[in-house]
Amino acid sequence: MKILDRLWHTLDERLELAPLIDFATHKEVPQHRHSWAYYFGGLTMFFFFVQVATGILLLLYYRPTAEAAFESVQFIVTRVPFGWLIRSVHSWSANLMILAAFAHMFSVYLLGSYAKPRELTWWSGFVLLLLAMGFGFSGYLLPWNELAFFATRVGTDMVSKVPLVGGWLLKFLRGGEEVTGATLTRFFGFHVAVLPMITTALLATHLAFIQRQGMHVPEGLEEEAKTRRPLRFVPNFMMREGVVWLAGLAALAALAAFFPWELGSKADLFASAPAGIKPEWYFLFMFEALKLLPPHVLGIEGELVGLGVFSLAGLVWFLVPVLDRGSSSGHRSRAFLLLGWLALAYIVSFTLLSLAGVFK
Amino acid sequence: MRNHLLAAAVVLAHAAAAWAVPPANVVRAPGKHAEDTCTACHVALDDERLRVPAQLANGDIHYSQGITCAGCHGGDPASEDAAVAMNPARGFVGKFSRRAIPEMCGSCHSDPTFMLRHAPNIPTDQLAQYRTSKHGLALAKGDTSVAVCSSCHGAHGVLQVSDARAPVYPTHVVDTCGRCHGDVALMTRYAIKGNEVEEYKQSGHYAALVTKNDLSAPTCKSCHGAHGATPPGVSSVSNVCGTCHPTQRERFDLSPHKDAFAALQQPACESCHGNHAILHPTDGWIGVGEKQVCGNCHSAGDAGATAAFAIAGALERANGAITGAQGCVDRVKRAGMLMDDADVKLEDAHQSLVVAQVEIHTVNPARVDEQTKAILASTGAADTLAAKAEAEIRYRRTGLFISLGVIALAMVALIFKVRAMER
Repeated sequence: MKILDRLWHTLDERLELAPLIDFATHKEVPQHRHSWAYYFGGLTMFFFFVQVATGILLLLYYRPTAEAAFESVQFIVTRVPFGWLIRSVHSWSANLMILAAFAHMFSVYLLGSYAKPRELTWWSGFVLLLLAMGFGFSGYLLPWNELAFFATRVGTDMVSKVPLVGGWLLKFLRGGEEVTGATLTRFFGFHVAVLPMITTALLATHLAFIQRQGMHVPEGLEEEAKTRRPLRFVPNFMMREGVVWLAGLAALAALAAFFPWELGSKADLFASAPAGIKPEWYFLFMFEALKLLPPHVLGIEGELVGLGVFSLAGLVWFLVPVLDRGSSSGHRSRAFLLLGWLALAYIVSFTLLSLAGVFK
Repeated sequence: MRNHLLAAAVVLAHAAAAWAVPPANVVRAPGKHAEDTCTACHVALDDERLRVPAQLANGDIHYSQGITCAGCHGGDPASEDAAVAMNPARGFVGKFSRRAIPEMCGSCHSDPTFMLRHAPNIPTDQLAQYRTSKHGLALAKGDTSVAVCSSCHGAHGVLQVSDARAPVYPTHVVDTCGRCHGDVALMTRYAIKGNEVEEYKQSGHYAALVTKNDLSAPTCKSCHGAHGATPPGVSSVSNVCGTCHPTQRERFDLSPHKDAFAALQQPACESCHGNHAILHPTDGWIGVGEKQVCGNCHSAGDAGATAAFAIAGALERANGAITGAQGCVDRVKRAGMLMDDADVKLEDAHQSLVVAQVEIHTVNPARVDEQTKAILASTGAADTLAAKAEAEIRYRRTGLFISLGVIALAMVALIFKVRAMER
């Protein structure tokens, strides 16, 4: 212990760490009937850490070319010791991370935690969710299998509908007119360099905001929070969060062992698209809605109208701390609360109905 | 009025030409005609028989090459005067007699110099072949019920063989032949059953043609010839089938059946496989029981039946091993294991089974058994890989349960710790 004390003293002397420790030991988490919502953000971060760790391991064997990508993933899951586990955990963790991020976002929204002074936290979180979806979209193509290839073709094709810059955006994403090996290399670059860099920086900012402002007590629960003794962040809340993380880890292990992520067959650029091409589940609510639209709405291409509506809805969602004027003074608008529930009902119902095959 | 005069002239001309063999000057110069007044008038005629040929001209391969009506029918296409245009003195022949048609078509199609200018890739021996065909021989004897060129290719609106709309395109040729060969009353005159097309449509060949759109699948002409259509004789059946099935033919030639069939004047392949209704063979055909082909000549206890029994046994073992291994591999695949190596082994087994099925034609059980051994080796390897994968699954699940146990312990410990701290 003497060595540890001396090490601490040495570091503290040079870096003045004592205030940080002081901050951590005095940090408290309020307790009320909705305190459970505080754990989702940490759980999302846990899955992100798993992604980073397993992603680095996959990088040891993965080769990002059209000729070798599929074979390298095949090699990972059949030959590399525990390669099947790493790949399966990476795929499952990606999905659970998005799920946890959605749960985190909706709990924050429905409890009104986006209100002033936490606008920046909300905005950074919103962008983090988009980044997570970008991770999912770019990572989906990397095994270079048939489903991923065609889903990417459909997905990137939607970008071309964007007025004025659509054509340019499509070429930028695909690295040409079509989805080819150039797209794969490009997506690989986004997936392992660009997105992780931005995400890490933004995640650090997001966490810094939360630490600086402390946990939000939802409107109407202030009295309850006052009557209950708050939890100390270190070690009580961290240990509770640890239980949640362990539960996440157990879920990951079980899913990876019982439902190893399928690899499918290698993408064939000249084959016709197989029936029932679908994107990842977290894009289904948009995908199915776009498919339901008629070819033309008021003379404008239906898909373009749909993308416009989704962009607008995304913008409203993003700007909710500003649009919900009363929220800054602790009086949330009922309309925005209703909007949140409607959005949740729409996303959940469309995703489940699509998975159940109702939209065939 | 003009149309009526024209029609009368045409009818007279037809009456004159009906018995005509083609005059020497019918197709003297079937080059491109600068003017073609024939279609201009004929498309407006009331009589369908005279109007339709003109309407079909536009899609006709000859017409597209500049060979207009006069190319075959003669006359003067430059003249708008029907009496001049259809003047026999100017080489006009109306409707050809059936006997005249092959010679008329052949006057161009058998001329290599002429054909080289228009369609250099088309052979020029059709007429020579036709003369050797059952159709040609009968026609030469004055039987005009037999097929001539136009019976299959059409008279007007003739399309290239490669045109999917053509009556002689692979997918249509069966029905084209069937127009006559499916007519039982007509075929009875030639001692032909008339059910050949119907039988062919039950065959594996027809299934390949229409369900897989395999244009290389044999149709009537593949075995009987097109222009020289004639039934292959008993001795040449194996040559015909061997064109597409050379390995089977080679194995058959090694077998004692070759000489035995020849001595009995039995056709080679046809004796077991049939001729038109060639069904997809199954391993169940081997034996002397009911619906088993060896029983056509052999009976229980003779050498042939013994060999058939041995071959059937070997194939049964092979099929059983493949089914068993496939089941094991599929089971571990459903559990999420990638079994590419086992798939390769199963593919090897299937390949060896195909070879074994070819070796049946030698009727030598030892040669079939050689392949059975290869099949058993491949399925054995696939079984081993499946067993390894199953062991791996058990290992993973055991590992998972241990990990879950450790995680659960850690969670319980943390929960107790938190409770103790918060008490």
